[in-house]
Amino acid sequence: MIELALKILIFGAVVSGIWALVASGFSLIFGVARILNFAHGTLFVLSAYFGIVLVKYGVNDYIAFVLGILFVGVVGVIIFRLTISPIKTHEVMVVIVTLAIALLVEQFLLLIFGEHGISFPSLISGVQNIGGVRITNIRILSFFVAIATLILLEVFITKTKTGKMINATSQDMEAAMLMGIDVDRIYLITMFISSILAGLGGLLYSQIFATTPIVSVKALIYAFAIVILGGLGSLRGSIIASFIVGYVIVVTITFLGARWSEFVMLLTIISILVVKPTGLFGVEE
Amino acid sequence: MLAMRKLWLAMIVILMLSLSIQTAMAKDKVVIGVIGPMSLPEGQAEKNAAMLSAEEINKEGGILGLPVEVVVGDTKLNPDSATAEFRRLATVENADVITGGFSSGVMAAMMETMAETKTVFLSDASSPAHPAKVAEDYEKYKYWFRISQNNGTTFAWDLADMIDFLNANGLKIKKVYVIRDEHIWTDAVMKDLKPLLEERGIEIVKDVQVPKGYTEYEQLIDEAESLNADLIMPILAIAGTGDVLAKQWGTLKPKIMLAGHDLAAIDAEFFDKTDGLANYEVFIADGGALVTAPPTEMCKKFIEAYKQKYGHYPESHQAYGAYDAVYIYKKAVEEASKAGEQNPFDPDVVVKYLEKYNPENPIKLTRTIAFHKNHALAWGDNYVRNWVSQWQDGKQYIISPKTVANGEFKIPPWLAQKEQEEKEQKTPETTKATPGFGILTAVAGLSVALSLAVLRRKTK
Repeated sequence: MIELALKILIFGAVVSGIWALVASGFSLIFGVARILNFAHGTLFVLSAYFGIVLVKYGVNDYIAFVLGILFVGVVGVIIFRLTISPIKTHEVMVVIVTLAIALLVEQFLLLIFGEHGISFPSLISGVQNIGGVRITNIRILSFFVAIATLILLEVFITKTKTGKMINATSQDMEAAMLMGIDVDRIYLITMFISSILAGLGGLLYSQIFATTPIVSVKALIYAFAIVILGGLGSLRGSIIASFIVGYVIVVTITFLGARWSEFVMLLTIISILVVKPTGLFGVEE
Repeated sequence: MLAMRKLWLAMIVILMLSLSIQTAMAKDKVVIGVIGPMSLPEGQAEKNAAMLSAEEINKEGGILGLPVEVVVGDTKLNPDSATAEFRRLATVENADVITGGFSSGVMAAMMETMAETKTVFLSDASSPAHPAKVAEDYEKYKYWFRISQNNGTTFAWDLADMIDFLNANGLKIKKVYVIRDEHIWTDAVMKDLKPLLEERGIEIVKDVQVPKGYTEYEQLIDEAESLNADLIMPILAIAGTGDVLAKQWGTLKPKIMLAGHDLAAIDAEFFDKTDGLANYEVFIADGGALVTAPPTEMCKKFIEAYKQKYGHYPESHQAYGAYDAVYIYKKAVEEASKAGEQNPFDPDVVVKYLEKYNPENPIKLTRTIAFHKNHALAWGDNYVRNWVSQWQDGKQYIISPKTVANGEFKIPPWLAQKEQEEKEQKTPETTKATPGFGILTAVAGLSVALSLAVLRRKTK
């Protein structure tokens, strides 16, 4: 029984880490700029494809990893500047435009790479035996990287000058403007951070699993579900919700079977939202 | 009055006959329709192979002197799109024959359009329900033939034979952990596989169904180990994540063999796509051909021609089926013409001549093709079957049966160690971490500690 509990504890943690990264990026841009970026999943897979292409052309794995993350950061900024910025006050238009970008990129990736999964080379190999549970090193590393990144993000947002400006903009955009904050610049920085969080998640994901163009939809659904569960715009809510989702998946696989995992996860989210419509840490506007 | 009516009737019949003869006479090309999911490797392979065969046939003077043209339809893996596209190929593009398919549900829907348009359909997919329709209502469904791969029921025979082969070659498989698509096609396989394993005294310790896109295999591998399974048997096609399973198996290196019906493993680039972690995976090669082990001379030539034309090997086994479909159609039409048939392109006539390729009279194309009475593809060592194959250091080898094998089974080193340990009654060693892990974990751990320290100091 203890062994089973330990298994669930460990598997749940490693499953949750990557989704916490993706969801926090999705939540960040919504919290600050009120933008529901439906191309977030696309940024998730784009980093992996870009990294894989770089490796194929002989670039060092670690350099390709970093460049892949930065690449989607730049792509995110370009998407924001060219398409989202002019319509950012029209929330529905933003959803439609970002969804169109997501579908367009997905088709493009399908044409170039096909549907079968491809992997970014694992930065680390081997397996650890933790209390009788065998976990791959890349999973453990991904978990630590995700946690470290999220803590750094929290530090950045709450302690640095730029972070405080991001925080101020998320609380009241007009007041922030009146205080002399360049809101457009803050949006761009936020979009960049949001995109690199997705990019980092995507590159870690493609090492553990494999990247396909369809994974972008999965990432978007997970991010969206987690963010709604955590409370729209709440970074901490998203992180806690990621772990709830991870543990629900693992417990379902253990006791009900793999085929029910996503169904039970979505059912749990709906049940929580029925009781608390604003999500776990959301506030009514 | 009666005589007048008979005269009118005779005139109408003559008119209709002359029109149909005129249509046949006016034929200026042979149209081959290819239908499949064009964003998937399966659809691309079907299209590319059909175009290659058409090009070759045109160079040799076409079919009965008529040039061959290929038209393409995209099923989008959706029954509605598939039937609409099939209808377009049959009625707008006037396809004489259609090849392709993929996915049993989509195929079942297209068979209705095929019956309605009376179009010869040399198809893919594996559900036993398709040939059953031919057997039940021959006149309606006789235009359907399965050419790409065997009936799904034969997959169970292939898997049982695979276990026999592995047990005869150094493994002791008594407990099997099945991971399969949550899909109708695997239900049929399981129904036939269960009694076959029971006969052999093999227990299925768990039968896990996974949905499309499922990736959390580590937990399943762990469970298989805790249930003392000797074999993880994937029966995966629709899930599309056989590569993820192979990756996680290759990383975790459990003391369990990975062998089964993993469609992704047939892809010639599978090894690279899994970062080499698919090494030693045993799979049964759907469609009866592998790039590195062509069973016929024509298959060998086809693979090379494909590589030359497209710069890579066939994306999936469906390529062999589509290529054979065009050639067998050509053969049937030519035989019909030789036999003096008035319209050798008439679908009813073509069906008659295709049926002549039966188990007593097979035709050797890229594989040895013969059709049963229900138009399913003949299964067996002398026809088409899913050869037992293995990935070994970046190459695919057929390892059984001996008649076509070009390699020998290799036990994964970590399993060979298990066999050795069992012999010596030693406890297994725990897995050691790679040296890089310590450094990277330390860096990650330090980052977490540092961040926490900064956070705590600032909040003070």
